Amino acid sequence: MCHVSVGHVAREAESQGLSTVTVAVRSFAHVAREMGYPRTVVTRHPMGRPLGPPGDTGAQRRVVHAALSLLESATEGGVIVELEEPYRPPTD
Amino acid sequence: MADDPLESFDDFKNSFAYGTRNDLSFKFLKKLDGDEAAEFLRLVLFEVGELFDGAAPERLIDLVYEWQVRAYQPELDEGRPWTYEDRPFAPLERSLGESTLGLVTSSGHFPSGEDPTPFGVQDMSQVEATSRIDDFLRATPELTVIPRDIPETELRVRHPGYDIRSVVRDPGVALPRTLLVEAERSGLIGRLHDEMFSFVGACAQGRIRREAPGWVERWKAAGIDVLLLVPV
Repeated sequence: MCHVSVGHVAREAESQGLSTVTVAVRSFAHVAREMGYPRTVVTRHPMGRPLGPPGDTGAQRRVVHAALSLLESATEGGVIVELEEPYRPPTD
Repeated sequence: MADDPLESFDDFKNSFAYGTRNDLSFKFLKKLDGDEAAEFLRLVLFEVGELFDGAAPERLIDLVYEWQVRAYQPELDEGRPWTYEDRPFAPLERSLGESTLGLVTSSGHFPSGEDPTPFGVQDMSQVEATSRIDDFLRATPELTVIPRDIPETELRVRHPGYDIRSVVRDPGVALPRTLLVEAERSGLIGRLHDEMFSFVGACAQGRIRREAPGWVERWKAAGIDVLLLVPV
C-alpha cells in the first residue's frame, strides 16, 4: 500500500509543478506503471529495503545517484529505470 | 491457529500475514495459492540444505526475492482503482545542482519525543501497530517532520506494513539522509532541505489523496524544488 500512497503524493506534486523521483522495489513496479509515477527507479531489493542492504553505503549510493540522474534526464512522465544490481548484504 | 491440530495448509500459509505467525517479510505467502506456497517452501528447504554443504547464501536470498516479486504481481483481471492514463510531469525549473531537494519516505520514521501517537496511543509498539493494520488502513496519514541534522540515536520508526528490522539497523535503507548530505557537499544537488518528511504509507487512500495537496503546498512554500520519494 505504501507504493500506492506515495504514487498519489508524486502525482499531486507534479500537478503542482514540483518535480519528483521515486525509488520503488520491483515487487511493486506495476504500481509505478499503473499510477503513472513521473520518474521511477526500480531496485531488485526485497520489500522494506528500497535503497539497499543495511550497512551497504555503496549500494545505497548507487541507487540515490541513479534517482538523482533520472530527475535531470527525464523529459516526460512515466519514465522507469530498472536497476539490475541484485540484493547482496555485506558479509563482513 | 498455530495450536489447532486441524489447521489446514491454507491457514498455515496465511498465518504469516497478520496471523499467529505474522512475519512481514513473508506475508506474501498469503498471496500464493496452496500449491505455489508449498513449492516455495520446498525450494526454501532445498536451498537451506544446500547451505549445509557450502552453497552461497545469495541463492536463498534470490529465491525468496523472486517469489516475493511473483506473489505481488496482480492478476490480469484484477481491478485496481489506482490505475491512471495520464502521466503528470513537471520539468526541473533549475539544474539539480541549484535545486533544494526534499526527502519524503513512507517508512514511518519520527524523532524521539515527537511520536505521532496513532489513535491516541502513546509509545505504540511495532507489534501493536502490526496488530492494528486494519485501523491504519482506515486512518488519515500524518506527516512527520524530521530535522536533517537529527542524531541517528534520536530516530524512531514504526510501521504496520513492513519488516522494520533493516531500517532499525540502518535508517539509510529508506531515509538516505547521509547520502543526500554527501550529494549536497559534492554539488550534485544544491541543498538538502532542513526538514525531511515521513508518514505511514499504510493508510486510507481517499484520505491521502485529500492530504497530499496540502503537503505539496507546504513543501513548495518551504522552498523545495524537487522531491525524492521513498516508499517501503
